[in-house]
Amino acid sequence: MNSDLAEPMHFEKANCLVLACGNTLRSDDGVGPKLAEWATERFRDDSHVRVVARQQWTPDLAEDIAAAESVLFVDSSSNSAPGRVNLIPVATHGNGREDPIHGPSTHHIDPAELLGLTHSLYGSMSAHAMLLTIGAGSTELGESFSDPVEAALPRARGVLEKTVLRFLEN
Amino acid sequence: MSQTITIDPVTRLEGHGKITIHLNGQGEVEDAHFHVTQVRGFERFSEGRPFYEMPSLMARICGICPVSHLIASAKACEAIMSVHIPHTAAQLRRMLNLAQMVQSHALSFFYLASPDLLLGMESDPKARHIFGVAAAAPELGRAGVGLRRFGQSIIELLGDKRIHPGWVIPGGVTEPLPSEKRDKILAMIPEAHANIALALEAYKKIADTFKAEIAVFANFPSNYMSLVNEDESIEFTDGALRLIGPTGQTIEDGITATRYAEVIGEAVEPYSYTKFAYYKPLGYPDGSYRVGPLARLNIVKSMGTPKAEKEFSEFTHIATGPVESSFHYHHARLVEMLYGIEKIEEILADPRILDKHVRATAGVNRLEGAGQAEAPRGVLHHHYKVDDDGKITWANLVIATGQNNKAMNLGVLQAAKHYVKNGKFTEGILNRVEAVVRTFDPCLSCSTHAMGQMPLAITLISSQGEELDRVVRD
Repeated sequence: MNSDLAEPMHFEKANCLVLACGNTLRSDDGVGPKLAEWATERFRDDSHVRVVARQQWTPDLAEDIAAAESVLFVDSSSNSAPGRVNLIPVATHGNGREDPIHGPSTHHIDPAELLGLTHSLYGSMSAHAMLLTIGAGSTELGESFSDPVEAALPRARGVLEKTVLRFLEN
Repeated sequence: MSQTITIDPVTRLEGHGKITIHLNGQGEVEDAHFHVTQVRGFERFSEGRPFYEMPSLMARICGICPVSHLIASAKACEAIMSVHIPHTAAQLRRMLNLAQMVQSHALSFFYLASPDLLLGMESDPKARHIFGVAAAAPELGRAGVGLRRFGQSIIELLGDKRIHPGWVIPGGVTEPLPSEKRDKILAMIPEAHANIALALEAYKKIADTFKAEIAVFANFPSNYMSLVNEDESIEFTDGALRLIGPTGQTIEDGITATRYAEVIGEAVEPYSYTKFAYYKPLGYPDGSYRVGPLARLNIVKSMGTPKAEKEFSEFTHIATGPVESSFHYHHARLVEMLYGIEKIEEILADPRILDKHVRATAGVNRLEGAGQAEAPRGVLHHHYKVDDDGKITWANLVIATGQNNKAMNLGVLQAAKHYVKNGKFTEGILNRVEAVVRTFDPCLSCSTHAMGQMPLAITLISSQGEELDRVVRD
């Protein structure tokens, strides 16, 4: 696996980028980085997989996405039942949120916006883009997961692994 | 009947804030305030902690400029320890601070300001953001991403994390620089040069189209303060403070960290959680001053690196004395980024940068210590008192945004008076009032030592105190 800083300026083309997001000090919000940690170990010897974990997704990540053929976003979700594991395709959103008041944030943008930004800046489109979410039970201060999220980890790891392997086959 | 306009929240800032514009009975602007509406209190909860924990604790104040807090805090701790850190450690810290400056300035210029600069103050707000920039000028967007990566990658290489890195500790840094990391940083330099050259060229092409904004974006005489080297060149990590007046005359020079409390006071206004720093001998508000890129370039006599020196020379020709309009903060940021890239290269060219001696050790030898460093937005002071066991008994931080606070408020008032007529305003007008604040690139999280989020809000208030209109963004 390529480490995050193996080639800071010129990333090798990765077949699959796992892009996790979350705050490890906010209980279940940290499930993304936790799964990224697992993916780093699981694909340590696979040079086609690159794993990046961030506290927030920011516009800078467009460059990382442009250097990957497929991307799997991993995040917690406050809209799902606690512990529920979802895998959904991500469609490109070309112009950010069309909201005259908010607009896209420079501190956090969602996967669809990131794909759109990648396309605008680098003209590249990932062949496959999926979002893996795990429903959050608690996002209070803390470094442990709620019971539903803890129980969902094996299933989430399984979905992550299968998705990455499927990306690698294509 | 008088009115008040509220911009709440002000967008594309680091933190929460709002602007209120008070109109008189004729609909003319009477007063305007920039309010910082978040509060946190790092000074209080650091009490009782061991002094050597302070750098990592203080770095948590901000996700954009944690390195400056690390360095100012470590220097305050070193004053308590009474140690001088090894030369290599000082150079490594200098490089880390410059890397942070480059990434922070890139965020400010490319992500926060360039939507106004490239797309126009009156452009469709639906597209006036980073996506709009990416669509209109992808090469500039890529340059911004590249410069952010340049700074952040250096921070991560040295401090293991892009945000809240460790590595800087009281006495120096935790470990020396391996040659492999030096080589990786050096390999990034050419692309960084290409990116900043592109940005400078693009900015200079469009700057002239903003003459109207330049004229009223906090364009007034003021004092300026920044660190400066003994040879009067720019300095971000060491050196001493210089305060200059409106004509460029030196008011006071050689202000060391131990003396800051003698000369800098902090006033409080009822409408903001951020204090208003001022130079004590001149009192408040006459002693208010500006800090950050504009102040630094107004104060120093040279940049000390060849390419930045050329750009600096061009910058100084904008005015015969100090460059007054805060609009020029944008230009100053670009010159500083160029300097940062060149200086990092220069530091790494010295073989001593790989020296293994990077840390001095000592316990408590003084019960009080202060440190200062330039954050991207301006000079930062940390001042601590400890007991005999080294536990913090008192702490005070003076942050760049607090030092720019008076100028930001006067700038908002100046722009509002110019643009708001007869109580009438448009989205483009309100955007210009916000854009005045953006030129300073304030970090409201730092200024209140509070947790950072983006939004800011504008309110229109009548002479009877009635809220007539409000634009809210969160």
